[in-house]
Amino acid sequence: MIFREVEDPDLIAKARRGDVEAYNLLVSRWEKRVFNYLLRLVSNREDAMDVSQDVFLKAYQSLPKLDDPARFPGWLFRIAHNEAFSLLRRKRPEAELAGEPRPAELNPRLLPIELSLAVETALGRLSPDQREAVLLKVYQGFKFEEMAEILECPVSTVKSRLYTALDLLKATLAPMQKAALRGEL
Amino acid sequence: MSCVSPESKPDWKAYVLRELGQDAHRQAEAHLATCSICHEEVATLRLTLDTLSTLREEEMPRRIAFVSDKVFEPRWWQRVFNPTFAAGVLVAVAILIHGFMGTGHTSQDQVDAAVTKAVSQVEARHMQEIRAMYEELDVRNKQVANMYRNAVLSR
Repeated sequence: MIFREVEDPDLIAKARRGDVEAYNLLVSRWEKRVFNYLLRLVSNREDAMDVSQDVFLKAYQSLPKLDDPARFPGWLFRIAHNEAFSLLRRKRPEAELAGEPRPAELNPRLLPIELSLAVETALGRLSPDQREAVLLKVYQGFKFEEMAEILECPVSTVKSRLYTALDLLKATLAPMQKAALRGEL
Repeated sequence: MSCVSPESKPDWKAYVLRELGQDAHRQAEAHLATCSICHEEVATLRLTLDTLSTLREEEMPRRIAFVSDKVFEPRWWQRVFNPTFAAGVLVAVAILIHGFMGTGHTSQDQVDAAVTKAVSQVEARHMQEIRAMYEELDVRNKQVANMYRNAVLSR
């Protein structure tokens, strides 16, 4: 086949040689995923945007250190993870206050259109570690081994965080979804 | 089959997350076909994952721009030879070829190919502009949705 879609490793190779446009294209492919991952972690749009910018700048500066271009996604999310948790550590007291559950959000009689908001609330009640495990697995589709590399911890820790998170989410969301399916909501 | 011993149960979370190996996946499916307790457990897990998937992906407030950064400013030749300029050059070249060579001395296919390529590049640029407009529209829709959400939460 003569023509094929330009793949990430091609763009990485060009960006390493100083091709800014190639890197911009790479950014445009990944920015929304990284932004949404960070948004769910730091719970603030402006913070998520600022951290996204930092992530792509650091990634650009560190591209020569990326041994295997095929591992770019995990490598990029590892940078994002480090930047997000660095921010969370700096803002911890503020974040803890903001993380207090609000009774109004516990209303089980939600309209179907509000399921998305219920998910957002349920995710917000998880610990940052648990939430991140859900984000990486459910929304970003990483395998356990890749998650372990991103989070720099054993696979057993990844599974423990994710499984606990799923149990908590199951207890909150499954009854709500069942009721919605039965037409009670 | 029943699940008297928890150790005999497959790892259902790994199963729904597609993390089991082929053999383990086959064994889990065989178990699932005969065990109503596990069937219920898997159904609840799948329902939870389905519910999680209803979370809407947020639009970015703005794009990440490196071109605008002085450090990453493109070189003069990159600015001159942008796609619009290249498309214009291709059209001009196609017209020149057509004019100089005349219909009897040139390969019409080559000219057609050059024009088609130039047109497709211009069209691609227009599509990009239209996509940007749609993205802008999407952001506005999100803002309206957020206003609605705030109104609901303050109910």
